[in-house]
Parts: sequence; C-alpha cells; structure tokens
Amino acid sequence: MSSYLLGFGAAIAVFTGIGAGIGIAMATSKAVESVARQPEADGKITKLLLLGAALAEATAIYGFVIAVLIILLLK
Amino acid sequence: MVEKFSHELLEMLTCETVFTVGNIAVSESTVVTWIIMAIMVLIAILVTRDLKVENPSRRQVIVEQAVVSLQGIVRSGLGKSGERYTYYMATVLLYLGLANTIGLFGMKPPTKDLNVTVGLSIMSICLIEFAGVRAKGLKKWAKGFMEPVAVVAPINVLEIFIKPVSLCMRLFGNILGAFTVMEMVKIVMPAVVPVAFGLYFDIFDGLLQAYIFVFLTSLFIGEATETEEEE
Repeated sequence: MSSYLLGFGAAIAVFTGIGAGIGIAMATSKAVESVARQPEADGKITKLLLLGAALAEATAIYGFVIAVLIILLLK
Repeated sequence: MVEKFSHELLEMLTCETVFTVGNIAVSESTVVTWIIMAIMVLIAILVTRDLKVENPSRRQVIVEQAVVSLQGIVRSGLGKSGERYTYYMATVLLYLGLANTIGLFGMKPPTKDLNVTVGLSIMSICLIEFAGVRAKGLKKWAKGFMEPVAVVAPINVLEIFIKPVSLCMRLFGNILGAFTVMEMVKIVMPAVVPVAFGLYFDIFDGLLQAYIFVFLTSLFIGEATETEEEE
C-alpha cells in the first residue's frame, strides 16, 4: 500500500512540469513574434530565449529531483 | 520485468566508489574529473607549444580566435567591473562543457553527482561575495543588503543561500534527468534511436546547462561588483 502512495507522491511532484511547459511556450511565442517584427535582432533574441527557457525549465527540474528523492529516500 | 527495470535504473543512478585510499573513498565522479583534467591539460600543452609574435602558425591563429570568443561569451555577463574574473569563469565553462558531454564516451558525467555541483556552486557564491566586498569595500557591501529599503534586508541575506541552491539543483537535476532518460532509452531500444536522443540530451542540453551555470554566476558577479560611479 505504502509503495502506491509513494508513487502518487512522486507523480504529483512531476506536475510542476505543467508550469514549465506553459512558461516556455509563452517565451517561445513572444520570441517568434519579436523575430518577425525585427529580424535583424535575431541573435540577441535567440540568446535571451535560450536563457529564459532554461530558467523556466528549472521548476520542472525541481519537480523531477523531488520525485527521484521521494522514490530513492523513502523507499 | 518491472522489478528488473527499476533495479537496473537504480544501479545507474547511484554513484559508485571506485577504490579506497586508507579511509577516504574515491568515488566515480572524482575519477572521471581526473580524466577530464588530464584531457584538458594535454590539450592546453599541445596547442600552446612554440607560440610566436611574428608570423604565427595556423594552429596559433585558431587557438587565439577560440580564446577571444571564449572571453566574449563570459564577458557578456560579467560586464566591465568584473572583467578580472573572466578566466575563472572560462575555466568553469570548459570543465562543465566537457563534463556534461562526457556521457557520449560511455562515462557517467561527474555533474550527475550532487556533491560536484554543490562544490561548484559554493565556489561560485564565495567568489560572488568576495568580488562584492573587493569592489565596494566591506562597509558599502554590508550596506548593499539594505537596498532598496531596510525592510527587505532578511530577504537579501536569504538570497546568499538561495542562489547556490538553485544553481546546483538546476545543473544536477538537468544532467540527472538527461542521464536517466538516456539510460531508459538504451534499455528499451538499444539501436539507432539513442543517437537522436543523445544529440539533444547529451550535446545540446549539456552545453546549454554549462553555459547557463556560467552565465548566471557571471551575471551575479557583475551585479555584485557594479558601483554607482560607473553608471
């Protein structure tokens, strides 16, 4: 029984991925818009987009780390 | 089937002890770091042999170009005030870049071990605070915690601990996640498919995370060393 609960806990922790997905999607859509508006600023926008996406991704990574820790430490 | 799968996965995730010297256990990440050090020292010795000021060889021109572009990458975050820390950040960038992509050669990346990333981020936060004290002086640095208003001082102090935690967790989680996915793919489909996944998870993600770590640290250093006279 308790192992099922552990699995539920880990699965709930991975729900943080929703936020990261929405965040990266918004950042990418804005980046596409700004490249369409100003194609000459392409390089700068790409750099900022990668940085922002990596920062937004961090929340998903935290969820993953916590899920792994739940499984490994509480087993 | 599921039992065997999870057992195999757990074996991949733990960091094994390779050998012990007296009471000190030398773990796998340390040995892989030695290998990376050996590679980097060897490359450094090979490319810097007989450098000339007049009519340089083709190798020297390529090396100079690489060094200049590396400086450019790092300096974009550091800014004018933190220029003296360029070479530490460039070294960390080279080490992390090699460490994150070493999974391609069948070794476990050392950054998959939490101890390595914790060490790196503690070094980063020490350098950030040291740079702040050095650039502003002790009194002004301490005063910096009261900005913009005195009420937020506890949050500013808390940030000293939050910064390294977020730096090391981001790097560790990304590399561990990429490594786990790669091992799962290798267990399920051993042929052809891992190549496509490896391109993204080992090369792109590894280099991106190395860049993010260095960029954020140098951004913090640039922020800490910024004095009002320059603005």
